[in-house]
Amino acid sequence: MGVTCVCQVPVAEGKSVQQSVDIVQQKLEQLGAAKQGSFCVDCETYHATGNVSGQPTKLLYVMHNTETPLSCLALFEGGPCLVADANFDVLMVKLKSHFQNAKGHKVECRGSRYRYCDFLIKVGVVTMGSSARGISVEVEYCPCVVPGDSWNLIKEFMQSFLGPSVPELPSVFVAKPEGLFAPSDSVDTMTQYLELFNKLRKMQMPGSNQR
Amino acid sequence: MSGGPAVRVSIESTCEKQVQEVALDGTETYVPPLSMSQNLAKLAQRIDFSQGSDSEEDVVEGEHTNPDWGKQEPEEEEGTVKFQPSLWPWDSVRNNLRSALTEMCVLNDVLSVVKEKKYMALDPVSQDPSVGKTPQVFQLISKKKSLAIAAQLLVKGAEKLTKSVAENQENRRQRDFNSELLRLRSQWKLRKVGDKILGDLSYRSAGSLFPHHGTFEVIKNTDIDLDKKLPEDYCPLDVQIPSDLEGSAYIKVSIQKQAPDIGDLGTISLFRKPPKTKAGTQLWHVKLEAAQNVLLCKEIFAQLSREAVQIKSQIPHIVVKNQIISQPFPGLQLSISLCHSTGDKKNTRTSPEKPKPDDHLYVLEHNLHQMMREFHKQQLSSVVMPHPASAPFGHKRQRLAGPMAYDKTEISSLQQSEGLLEKIIKQAKHIFLRSRTARTIDSLASRIEDPQIQAHWSNINDVYESSVKVLITSQGYEQICKSIQLQLNIGVEQIRVVHRDGRVVTLSHQEQELQDFLLSQMSQHQVHAVQQLAKVMGWHVLSFSNHVGLGPVESIGNASAVTVAPPTESTPSQCVTAQRAAAKSSSSSPAAKPKSCRRATWSRTASGATSEGPTRRSTGARWRVATSSTRWSCSWRR
Repeated sequence: MGVTCVCQVPVAEGKSVQQSVDIVQQKLEQLGAAKQGSFCVDCETYHATGNVSGQPTKLLYVMHNTETPLSCLALFEGGPCLVADANFDVLMVKLKSHFQNAKGHKVECRGSRYRYCDFLIKVGVVTMGSSARGISVEVEYCPCVVPGDSWNLIKEFMQSFLGPSVPELPSVFVAKPEGLFAPSDSVDTMTQYLELFNKLRKMQMPGSNQR
Repeated sequence: MSGGPAVRVSIESTCEKQVQEVALDGTETYVPPLSMSQNLAKLAQRIDFSQGSDSEEDVVEGEHTNPDWGKQEPEEEEGTVKFQPSLWPWDSVRNNLRSALTEMCVLNDVLSVVKEKKYMALDPVSQDPSVGKTPQVFQLISKKKSLAIAAQLLVKGAEKLTKSVAENQENRRQRDFNSELLRLRSQWKLRKVGDKILGDLSYRSAGSLFPHHGTFEVIKNTDIDLDKKLPEDYCPLDVQIPSDLEGSAYIKVSIQKQAPDIGDLGTISLFRKPPKTKAGTQLWHVKLEAAQNVLLCKEIFAQLSREAVQIKSQIPHIVVKNQIISQPFPGLQLSISLCHSTGDKKNTRTSPEKPKPDDHLYVLEHNLHQMMREFHKQQLSSVVMPHPASAPFGHKRQRLAGPMAYDKTEISSLQQSEGLLEKIIKQAKHIFLRSRTARTIDSLASRIEDPQIQAHWSNINDVYESSVKVLITSQGYEQICKSIQLQLNIGVEQIRVVHRDGRVVTLSHQEQELQDFLLSQMSQHQVHAVQQLAKVMGWHVLSFSNHVGLGPVESIGNASAVTVAPPTESTPSQCVTAQRAAAKSSSSSPAAKPKSCRRATWSRTASGATSEGPTRRSTGARWRVATSSTRWSCSWRR
């Protein structure tokens, strides 16, 4: 598992979401990337119930990624993160009294997976319910796990098919201590996805209680 | 007792009503009093037993011990018997006894009278001889008759006995069937469908995915002719096996080569013997085990042929009927075949070109079975076996895959993707390479006497790797000349040679490479030995070269040369011993070895005496001979 960067790609003007995705994919294929199946990242939201009244209810996000098919990630909003077996979903059903599933908040990101030499590129459409909310692009540089060492390479590569709309170093990597060996892992990837999902949620639904 | 009966006391019940039962509330129910006739009957009954006394025992004693008492009242007795004839089952017995007793008493009286000899005397009766003769015939006849009757009785009794014995046997057989069934049940899976008992032969419960249902039927074998003698191996329980699983089968793995020089691969026949039945095992058990073995062999073969078709290799595997042919090395053919013989007909369905003797590779056959079982176990552990709800069952790394968030590539590296066929081919390659290496070393060792080669095979091997230690020594000079030690690690496709100093040389599977390498090592050893010896003898090593441009240029190896000088100043200055390192020439004959030394002028020193350079051929010969006498013949150039 290498260094991963997840970013949002704006929908081209006058184009539908699917068309914009096609454009990105076309560019990738022209570059020489080979399609390798598909991918899916999904996120379910749980409300923590049974709290002392007065405190704001904390949110728990349970996420799955097809890249790590046997795992299940649970991220507390701004808090600790848990990596578990896929059986964790069953556990959540048992914990119904403490965590209630917010049915309407399920977010999914589906798309194709491309490989270009050492890079793994995933272009997906983020959907909430049934409506497409945006486009995500994930780029992973597999051979390296140190974000600082590979960021420039990733950035340059992303510029080659995304043009100018290349993001800055993701915030999860900014927080990593400089100089120490702090490898990036799947939690970083999922945190970025979560940020992206939350951003898309807020953008589309202003005034909602989602942060 | 003889003095007459004791005083008898009659006791009768009072005329009170008898209480039949007392209810819980205290009320008593009475038995209604007997009517006159009932009372009479009751009394009469009593008389019948006791003759006036109340206790039964008393009566019996009285009767038997007191003849007077019995004699006195026969009439009364008759009357009571008539009165209630059916109530007393021992009536006739008693009557007979009584009459016998009467007779005895009379006899007793007569005898006592006779004894007195006052009133009566006994005289012998004169017998008429004619009367006595005829009765003898009659006696015989009557004896015969009575004997016949006795015989008849005995025969009848015997018949009854045999009948009951037969019945017993029948019963036992029935019981035997049940006990056999119980035994069968303890070893095989059985279930009842309708009125049939079906069993399961398949390895499905052990994790097999083979689609064959493997069902056998249990048959009751009890209705046989009772009169016939039972065969030795009779068993009341029999099993019916599906026709395609009958007979015996085995997987045969063999390596063939066009050139007939690998005959030493597996030569012992182990399988041809009829399977020995253990003393305690039942016929059905043997049958079922054979059928199960057939099933397993079929499964292995099916798996192998499936893989053979699916796997893409440079040289495609060939699946013909019941044979899989693969080429592990060029010119080499690995064949795996399923031999299934049905019945006694020895009708092996193997390919007709099946060669002469036994070239089984038993190790590989065994390993195939083992790997199949492992495969079963894998299947089982992931699907059927009980496993904790919190985590999957399996290796630790597999369990960690979830919590450690392994990605796709890592997970796929955990999973074993190698199939049965690939594994077996690899093993076959290794076995072949190993045996060929052994052969190469052995042939070198037997061909070349000096220096000597020793091979120490380690007997702990992996299926894919084994090792041998090769020592090159000069006999008799082990103390002076260091031996060369090589460690040969024989892998699947190549041989890695590790020198004592840590250098590693990798050789391919080609036989020639190993041979050349060993030859060059031997030649090096010789050259080093010359130097060592020269030092010991006080000679001076003037020069040493591993590669002198001597002789024809060979592609492999070269001649090496050592120049030594004798200690005495007067003798000529240069002595050269040259030696061929080329493997090629050495392989032909030892005499060819010194050919390359022709260019040098040779002469021989023995205790300082010199002689002119002899012919080339003799030089060679002498060189060889010299090594055995003074060890080295040294020659110098004028």
